[in-house]
Amino acid sequence: MTMSTTSAGLEFHDVTVAYGRRPVLWNVDLTVPGACLFGIIGPNGAGKSTLLKAALGLVPLAGGEVRILGAPLEQVRARVGYVPQRESVDWDFPVTVTDVVLMGTYARLGWLRRPGPRERSLAAECLDRVGLADVADRQIGRLSGGQQQRVFLARALAQQADVYFLDEPMAGVDARSQERIFRVLSELRAEGRLVVIVHHDLRSVAEWFDAVALIDMRLVATGPVAEVLTPENLRRTYAGRLDLLDEIGRAVAEGGRTP
Amino acid sequence: MILAVVDDSFPAAWIPPYNTLVVAAGVASVGFAAGVVGCFAVLRRRALAGDAAAHATLLGVGLAFLLGGGRRDLPLLLAGALSTAIAALLGLVLIGRWTRTRDDAATAIVLGVSFGAGITLLSGISARGIPGSAGLEQFLLGHTAGLTAADATILGVMSLLVVGIVALFLKESTLVAFDPLFAAASGWPVTLIDYALVVLVAVMVVVGLPAAGAVLVTALVVIPPVTARQWTDSVGVMLPLAGLFGLVAALSGVAVSSAVPRMPTGPLVVIAASILLTISLLIAPRRGGLARWLQARRTVAAWADGRLLEVALRLDGDGPFTREQLLARAPGAAADSAFKRLVRSAAIEPVVTRAGTDAWRLAVWGRELAAERSRRVAAWTEVLEAAREDARGHLTIDVPSPEAILGAARMKAIRESAAAERVAGEARPGQPWQPGQPMGGAGG
Repeated sequence: MTMSTTSAGLEFHDVTVAYGRRPVLWNVDLTVPGACLFGIIGPNGAGKSTLLKAALGLVPLAGGEVRILGAPLEQVRARVGYVPQRESVDWDFPVTVTDVVLMGTYARLGWLRRPGPRERSLAAECLDRVGLADVADRQIGRLSGGQQQRVFLARALAQQADVYFLDEPMAGVDARSQERIFRVLSELRAEGRLVVIVHHDLRSVAEWFDAVALIDMRLVATGPVAEVLTPENLRRTYAGRLDLLDEIGRAVAEGGRTP
Repeated sequence: MILAVVDDSFPAAWIPPYNTLVVAAGVASVGFAAGVVGCFAVLRRRALAGDAAAHATLLGVGLAFLLGGGRRDLPLLLAGALSTAIAALLGLVLIGRWTRTRDDAATAIVLGVSFGAGITLLSGISARGIPGSAGLEQFLLGHTAGLTAADATILGVMSLLVVGIVALFLKESTLVAFDPLFAAASGWPVTLIDYALVVLVAVMVVVGLPAAGAVLVTALVVIPPVTARQWTDSVGVMLPLAGLFGLVAALSGVAVSSAVPRMPTGPLVVIAASILLTISLLIAPRRGGLARWLQARRTVAAWADGRLLEVALRLDGDGPFTREQLLARAPGAAADSAFKRLVRSAAIEPVVTRAGTDAWRLAVWGRELAAERSRRVAAWTEVLEAAREDARGHLTIDVPSPEAILGAARMKAIRESAAAERVAGEARPGQPWQPGQPMGGAGG
């Protein structure tokens, strides 16, 4: 199933989120076109993950509204896939790689129905796509960090969604897994799907992403990578965070180079 | 055998074996169900919530006794116990949602307050000598001697019902226990499923009261799942296994207590469960203490063996070598025993041969072994450079052949990419560094 409309894939209208009295997202107004690799970039604690969770209905909005594929979340939930942060689960949990990937089919199955041969072959297909076919029966704790991240990606693939949200999919992942993950994500885009990624590594942005939003509680800038990743915008996003100046410098230098 | 033991516990009146049989079956299903339900309490880290619910049951028992006009009707008392257990859980939820108290503190508060209230009420009832109140304190530590066949049937049916519900919603429960965030994002009512699981734990805690008592019944819910987890990496196996351990613990506790006059069952059930746990913690394959200890020893020994061979190959180039020379170049606590193994190996297929009192040469076979190991170490080092994740996923301390594990094709690709990286590194003359700054790897 590919997206039928050419309208915006994801819209935030004046979204504000607060934990207690403290706002973590401040009047974010953002429109993401369909079928692209879209990065949400910003320093630690900027509210990047919260923005994803707001889109997925996992945190209550203090104000504003989110629309996915032109509709409220409840109407399109079946077309939305999600890769949470790797640290959000207990990897010692007694399930195998295949068990976890099958969880991607649960929502479609609904209450009580168990995954059957069709779901199993889909899970095998998704594992193959992320290069994990040979560890399908292994307990999930006995995988490397990059492999665990790819298990989560395979589970999201099994959701067969049109819009994907990924929370820091490259955290603690080595170059080979990163390459593989980005390649699968690019395939998804080529199939006409929207992929929204919370990302922290500025260096790989220019290479893989089509467009980004720079976030630091408020939306600093959004648009195609080349237009947004300017020294001025980065300074406004990372203002006062000196430890990141080095990384910014490198990113700007690489962003300026033509591929 | 159990039948005979339980029969002995009723010296005053002759109990037909039918009753004993029913009580045993009831207790067995209680133990089984407690183990099964406990799995999700443990996996979802809600074990302590179950303990708070258990301690709150006494208050309900007392209230139900008063409301029922002093009747010692088990279903009535258990209904009271269930209502205060669920009230305690509700209290936990409310404290968590509306105050800024941490989970563990909230649990301790609810547990303490409800248990205190329960003990006060039961003491008051017993101090007033209300008729029929004599046996109420049995709910504190458990006592199955007074159970009738009708009571046990109710307990057994409730237990099987709980097991049935868990089995029915296994898919949903596992999903929520493993990854609640993902479950919520894909539209599952996570809070509802969570509450349902906690209520099932509360039901099991109440049903387990006669067998283990309010203070110890949590052990019946928590220990068997932890025991089962030692033996399996799969939820589907863990559940029935935990049930089995719970069944054995509950039955043996009840059997022993009925052989000893006036012995409460709760402590015995817990002792039985912890014996199973201790054995499992020790001897379970892979997760058990013994397996881990052996593995640690094997790791050290395998590495020492390999290092010694490598050093021997280098020394052998200059003629015979001594034990001291060898150990000096391959230091480590296990080197000495590794040397002994090296010498002993001569009996089967000589790795080293003796060339004097303390002079050794590598045998042909030993030289082959050592060369192969050096080759593998070098190959894995290359894998670590060019494809770190392959190495991290597959490299083990006994240095297996990388070709056998990764496949010849993959190894070739890794070698090529490593070579290409080296070329690229040379073509880029120290770009990120300022000239004049020392750079590592100036050729060896």
